[in-house]
Amino acid sequence: MTPVNPVGDGTYWTMAAKTDAQWVPVAVSADILAGTVVPARLPTGPIAVWRSATGNLYANGDRCPHRGMRLSHGFVRGETLSCIYHGWRFGTDGACQKIPAHPSVTPPKTINCGPLHVAETNGVVWAAAKEPAEPPQFYPGYEALRSLVIVSTPAAIAAATNATIIDGAIQTTLGGQDAVLLMSPQGPQEVFILVLARPNLNLADRLAVSSALEALRRSAEAVEGAA
Amino acid sequence: MILYDYILSPSCYKVRLLASLLEVPLEVRPVDFHPGREHKSAALLALNPAGSIPILVDGDLILTESAAMLAYIAGQHGPGWLAGSNPVDIAQQQQWLAFSHRLTHALGGARLVEMLHFYGDLPALQASGIAALRELEAALFARRLSGGTFLVADAPSIADIACFPYVALAPDGSVSLDIYPSIRIWMRAIRALPGFIEMPGIHRLHELAPDPFEEASL
Repeated sequence: MTPVNPVGDGTYWTMAAKTDAQWVPVAVSADILAGTVVPARLPTGPIAVWRSATGNLYANGDRCPHRGMRLSHGFVRGETLSCIYHGWRFGTDGACQKIPAHPSVTPPKTINCGPLHVAETNGVVWAAAKEPAEPPQFYPGYEALRSLVIVSTPAAIAAATNATIIDGAIQTTLGGQDAVLLMSPQGPQEVFILVLARPNLNLADRLAVSSALEALRRSAEAVEGAA
Repeated sequence: MILYDYILSPSCYKVRLLASLLEVPLEVRPVDFHPGREHKSAALLALNPAGSIPILVDGDLILTESAAMLAYIAGQHGPGWLAGSNPVDIAQQQQWLAFSHRLTHALGGARLVEMLHFYGDLPALQASGIAALRELEAALFARRLSGGTFLVADAPSIADIACFPYVALAPDGSVSLDIYPSIRIWMRAIRALPGFIEMPGIHRLHELAPDPFEEASL
């Protein structure tokens, strides 16, 4: 049966491992508040991205090594991430620090939640399973505005913007403003889009970019639906 | 004030949640909605011919629509939770209260199919639920750009309480919330309100409670 839910239905899909050592855009920096954890995706699978109380960013697999609960359902206290299920607590290095049911036990170093590499540029959170050789791509004169998912393909999105894809991104105009669409395919029919805009835009211009992005989604999904 | 209540009903939870936030005592009468279908019993149909819950009874007043119950409780105990005299705020509050019915139909409908095996066109319910979530996400993103956290004006209102439960429980209908960052931040703000209470599927923010390890080391 074909899943009707576009994203996050719990399906663990995989793609070629060649993307392991590549920076992938996963979130807008401003969308991850200090002291919170959010779900995101790498081509290798679901991840949990969290910001500690002091504002440092970390990412790891979205799976507690204890019972498989999604760590993005968990919570951040200070500089640690805890699982919502049985409270296993992980440090910034991904190592398990505490097991509440066994308070006197020091967890062995082998228990960890699969720490990943993260970086932030232009208000974009990037993650990689293995450390890439280069820092993530920097787009001078742009900053992240918002993200959304389009149930379509990168090719259909490029067609809807009359632009070509360069380095996994589309440079175009949205709502009369310069915009860069960073794209991360989430499967055969879904693309995570993170839109960059000029940092000095006023409120009306930002809203115009956001509205044009919604219109682009309608257009790209209609193209896909007609195909 | 008597609330005819079902623990798994997001519409009943709206009323319990606002009452808790405003510290209003409720006399809760549990209704065996499933599998007993007690809401269709003669006694409850006499109170509410529509055969739905929640039902709020306060003296001679009988309310059968959750949005009306929110307006009644807020009007009596928390006028700040109602939009003020500004026509734009009043209209936007009405807009979101009406929007909450779309959430109930779409996301709530998908949830009833998935959880309680009700009859319904699941893919169609999920698709209209996703359309509503996209609309909410765009609106909340726009609110964030203006420095706002909640749906109307600068403070939480009955509009937020009316929309929150069916959104938060969307995954019960197999509709993911993973891809809506502004909805996530809005839900967190609601869950952080003093007096917030849980229902099955909507848990509180554990990080706001004292750290048990620090307590143990005292």
